[in-house]
Amino acid sequence: MGKKDAGAPKKDNFTRNLVVVVVVGVILIMLVPTLISKQGDKTAAIPASVSSSEGYGIVFNADLVGKPKIEIYEDFQCPFCAQFEAMAGEYLEDLIAKKEAKVVYHPLSFIGDESVRAANAAACAADENNFLAFHKNLYSNQPSAENSGEWSNDYLKATGLGVGITGGNFASCVDNLKYQDWVVNVANEGGKRNVNSTPSVFINGKLIENESIRTNQIFDLNKFKSAVAKG
Amino acid sequence: MRESLIKAQPWLGLISRLVLGGVLFIAGYLKVSTPDKSQMAVRAYEVLPISLANLIGLLLPYVEIGIGLLLILGVYTRISAALGGAIMVVFIVAIAQAWARGLTIDCGCFGGGGQVAASETKYLSEIIRDTALVLLALYLIRYPNTKFSIDKSPKLAK
Repeated sequence: MGKKDAGAPKKDNFTRNLVVVVVVGVILIMLVPTLISKQGDKTAAIPASVSSSEGYGIVFNADLVGKPKIEIYEDFQCPFCAQFEAMAGEYLEDLIAKKEAKVVYHPLSFIGDESVRAANAAACAADENNFLAFHKNLYSNQPSAENSGEWSNDYLKATGLGVGITGGNFASCVDNLKYQDWVVNVANEGGKRNVNSTPSVFINGKLIENESIRTNQIFDLNKFKSAVAKG
Repeated sequence: MRESLIKAQPWLGLISRLVLGGVLFIAGYLKVSTPDKSQMAVRAYEVLPISLANLIGLLLPYVEIGIGLLLILGVYTRISAALGGAIMVVFIVAIAQAWARGLTIDCGCFGGGGQVAASETKYLSEIIRDTALVLLALYLIRYPNTKFSIDKSPKLAK
């Protein structure tokens, strides 16, 4: 390639600088929308049972005092979260129904698009007072592959119908991704709290190591119950 | 012998560029669409303050894609290789400290990341891989004159 001129050969700086400018420019163009979408919007619509002071989580028994507070950070597409739900879901519903614990759900979305859709739809279900049933139903039908296209808006609306949510509000809430900005807020708050795996469970503000509530890698309800009892 | 080494050198450089640049590009590409996960992976090293870790988690995939592209194209090969090698050294230090402190995390190098079960850590193979990539970077810094590059290096081998 080397053009040998009489003097010292010149480097073609123009071409290389142009390439550098193009590469950096394209990257900046990609980066800016990400930065903007990661900006939380404090004025974003939030579901009725959400408390911004609880990290934008969906709160049950908000006013309960003197009982344990259980906080769950999860992603609807995370297999271990489905396993945790299978183990602890009914127990938690029972604690909520009997007003024996304050429970806060934080649906994270780090696995991607379908987690965002699922979290949005769960918030829509919360508006219809049907979060827990919707939550359980989604986990028991978790697709084996992430972002496979299975959890479309139509699928999520059908799941809503399946747990008895009727009426157009839910459908439009799912279709319009009404709580998309709230989903970003939940994720940002989880990040600020240094949640680095899912499920992450806090009891009275203290992180419970997943290993300590498992037996042979499987979640163990008795261990979880005693962790809740210990507080 | 010496003659054939001199002939092979730009081709070895091309391979080094494509491997180091390709790995960086793919690593960035696999992370770029899941910024939450990438931030989580950086936080899980438990080195940086959370807000800084979150910022780096957001930017790192783009930096990797950028350096990867420059290496693949062969633009400012020596500088790009130095940046790519430096980033690998940072990764090695981060992984080694996580290993030494007994953290159980996935390196998050190609997506993924965050805490994993102790049996799922693969610190040694991650460090060996990154060390091999540092060696490629060092080769390119020493011999930046490579085949099929945008750099039209006039430096003759002799």
